[in-house]
Amino acid sequence: MNRRLGIIVGVLAFVAAACLPLLSKVAPAIAGPYALSLARSIFVYLALAVSWDMLFRSGQVSFGIAGFFGLGIYGAAIAGISFGLAPWLSILAGGAFAALAAAVFGLVILRLRAIYFSITTLALAEIFRIIFHNGGDFTGGAEGLIMPSLFSNDDGALYWLALSGVAIALVASSWFARSKIRFALTAIRNNEIQAKSSGIGIYKYLMIAFVVSSFVQGIAGGIQLQSYGSAAPDDAFNANYTLLPLAMALLGGVYSTIGPVIGAILLGLASEGLKLRIPYGHLVVYGIIIVLVILFMPNGLYGLWLRGARRREGSRRGDKGDRSGGLGAGKAPLVAGDAGGPVAKEAPHA
Amino acid sequence: MWASLGIVVAVALFLWKPTVLVYGLQRAGLYAAVAIPMALVLGVVHIVNLSHGEFMMVAAYATYFAAKLLGIDPLVAMVPVGVVMAVFGFVIYRLTIRKALKAPELNQLILTFGLGIALSQAVNLAFSSQSWKLSLDYVTASATIGKYSFGTYDFIFVAAAIALAAGLKLFLTRTRMGKAALAVGQNPRGAAIVGIDVDRTYAFVFSLAVGLVGIMGSLFLTKQAIFPTVGGPYTMKSFCLVAMAGVGNITGVLWGSIALGVAEVAMTNVRELRDWSSIVFFVIIIATILARAIKERSA
Amino acid sequence: MPNLETIGLTKRFGGLVAVNNVSFNLSRGEILGVIGPNGAGKSTFINLVSGLYFPTGGSIRFNGRDITTMPAHRRAELGIARTFQLIHPLEDLDVIENVMLGFLFARSLSRREARREAEALCASLELGGVEREVSRITMLETKKMEIARALACGPEILFLDEVMAGLNADETLSLIALVRKIAGERNIGMGVVEHVMGVIRELTHRVIVLENGEVIAAGPYEEVVNDPRVKEAYLGGAA
Repeated sequence: MNRRLGIIVGVLAFVAAACLPLLSKVAPAIAGPYALSLARSIFVYLALAVSWDMLFRSGQVSFGIAGFFGLGIYGAAIAGISFGLAPWLSILAGGAFAALAAAVFGLVILRLRAIYFSITTLALAEIFRIIFHNGGDFTGGAEGLIMPSLFSNDDGALYWLALSGVAIALVASSWFARSKIRFALTAIRNNEIQAKSSGIGIYKYLMIAFVVSSFVQGIAGGIQLQSYGSAAPDDAFNANYTLLPLAMALLGGVYSTIGPVIGAILLGLASEGLKLRIPYGHLVVYGIIIVLVILFMPNGLYGLWLRGARRREGSRRGDKGDRSGGLGAGKAPLVAGDAGGPVAKEAPHA
Repeated sequence: MWASLGIVVAVALFLWKPTVLVYGLQRAGLYAAVAIPMALVLGVVHIVNLSHGEFMMVAAYATYFAAKLLGIDPLVAMVPVGVVMAVFGFVIYRLTIRKALKAPELNQLILTFGLGIALSQAVNLAFSSQSWKLSLDYVTASATIGKYSFGTYDFIFVAAAIALAAGLKLFLTRTRMGKAALAVGQNPRGAAIVGIDVDRTYAFVFSLAVGLVGIMGSLFLTKQAIFPTVGGPYTMKSFCLVAMAGVGNITGVLWGSIALGVAEVAMTNVRELRDWSSIVFFVIIIATILARAIKERSA
Repeated sequence: MPNLETIGLTKRFGGLVAVNNVSFNLSRGEILGVIGPNGAGKSTFINLVSGLYFPTGGSIRFNGRDITTMPAHRRAELGIARTFQLIHPLEDLDVIENVMLGFLFARSLSRREARREAEALCASLELGGVEREVSRITMLETKKMEIARALACGPEILFLDEVMAGLNADETLSLIALVRKIAGERNIGMGVVEHVMGVIRELTHRVIVLENGEVIAAGPYEEVVNDPRVKEAYLGGAA
């Protein structure tokens, strides 16, 4: 798709979304309190899905979204309660807190790759939960903190707050896509050794991706706090905040900004429907979706669309156009255990 | 150096509360026994399986039903459940993992993550998230030495760990399939060239590992409560042990599990530290990474 | 003073000594051949110089500065580049983008500048159709792209690791000509690892011979090729 056209459509869609609350009296079905609250929830997941993809572009799978999201909630809550910061500032504090944690932990865990990194991120979320559970009065212990929000009755304001979270995520993701960072992350993902040999500082760019994506996750947490007014360990660090964004990004199409957006909207709406029919255990659908996407359409819906578009344009220009970029679709198979490249023995130096 | 440190710590613990050593060892047995199948799958043939703990959970539930509906004791049901799980593992391998092996490793990572969720949530859907437990007489066996008494049943986990470790060693060094597994793990293409059926080797090893962790599931049920997400921490801890010990190092897994088990139990015995005991494994991972990184820098 | 110098460079992998006490130097404008039988340690040597491995002994100096523990990407910035024997082009970037990397990161150019420079570089290497995917280019084009990728870092010293492997006679000749032209134009000091002796004879000013990680001979091609130790080490190299 023509980039300019894509931008115009995107901006229009965003403006349309922003206008939605104004219709609340006129069209309550799509703009009434229930619809707005559903949209808010989708927006939060959307921001998380986009931020997950931002790190994923480097080839690293993070299972720690819930961890940084929860840090954002708590960071914002503590900033609001103990330091009396205004809502906007407390949201930023949440984001900053998550980003700081990412920087500190990243110093250590970004030395890891593949499953080692991923499992460590999975553990992180659990660790944070325990820390905040045991934090005594400062973190509210098992029951957490209550922070009544200034916006608690204003559906429209909460909606716009969530939408601004989406904006932040989209801006960050576009920045990654339009700058040198895209080259760096893609190179690191494809072949670290080649990337290093072309002057890319692996550690530096992994750190950037990790910190920025955690910042967005923290912001999302801060925004969530405004909606619900409480920060409790089992809610804030709930594994759903990792599972759903992951499934959404995969389904929609990874390595892109639009893919996670599509996935978030589709799965967000579907999940509402599911929850009404299957009270618990409906999460099994997400597990199945992840399995099916990896097996049959690793590039997600957007990837399929791109492949179709490329085929239509294909023979014309020797294949210009976005690459499938995906999780192995159309690539030469990489046999398990194949180290690739001449430097097989030694671990890459950060 | 580590040996002397270990001895010092062990003596200190013994003087403080000897039961900590006993319970720590028993817990270590459980961790090691669950980790060894992962050492086989991840360590030897490099298949990433984040649903390791969920297979154990499924086996535990199956054993529960065998006990409740058919009246079969878990220690007896252990064997048929193991076989059924191995078959189940084979089916899962054929349907899903085999395809992902041809793609980059992160596909396996995400795939098995989704698989784990699917399994635990399917069980949640079917049986709710309530935890279930069997009450069996023999698990209350205990012994008394001096003024200390402690449960002795849990030594069965230690026995299981030793049996699995020895069995794995034998498998890898004495059987054709085991040697094939080692070959495939080191160089799949090379192994194929010399005539090893790589796919069959992966299928066998994966099914074997699932069968073994299934047996552990039955054993687990005898002493612990089960609920849909009970497997998760075991996946993480198994992984931590296998990673820490280094690929292919089974004795390392045993030592690591002792360190982990004893540390956790020691912490639960200190009131202030009790709630933090589940962080131990994370601290171990971080410490291991840092130690390795420092060693690399100076190399 | 030579631009690149190694002093007693040694690399041990556990019990295996892959590179043993290798001292050599290379200056801008020179083309040095590095030959030796398989397993002699040539690739390990290049990995040590380019920073993918750190040595277990010895040191490396570049323009007088000790770079023994400098990471690979910093060495690329500083002016040492290399190509890979087994080329793994980055499949999610197209040809021009693969080449742009060095300009973007080793030389910190903007995307626009990097693109312009990369296009010019590819043109000078007679590499066209740069917006194609890397899976769709020929073997010779892959080699050119790999050389371009390394040149994009703006190196003073460049190592070519068996870049001629797999090419036919015509392709080899044309690539030799290109390499010689570039080395001359940019005054690059080149280390050329090759098994194809014709290339070494055509291209290089002098040669070092590695066997079992050690330098067993050094000097102009004609001299080295007649050295009995070299002949013994090298049972049959194509002359």
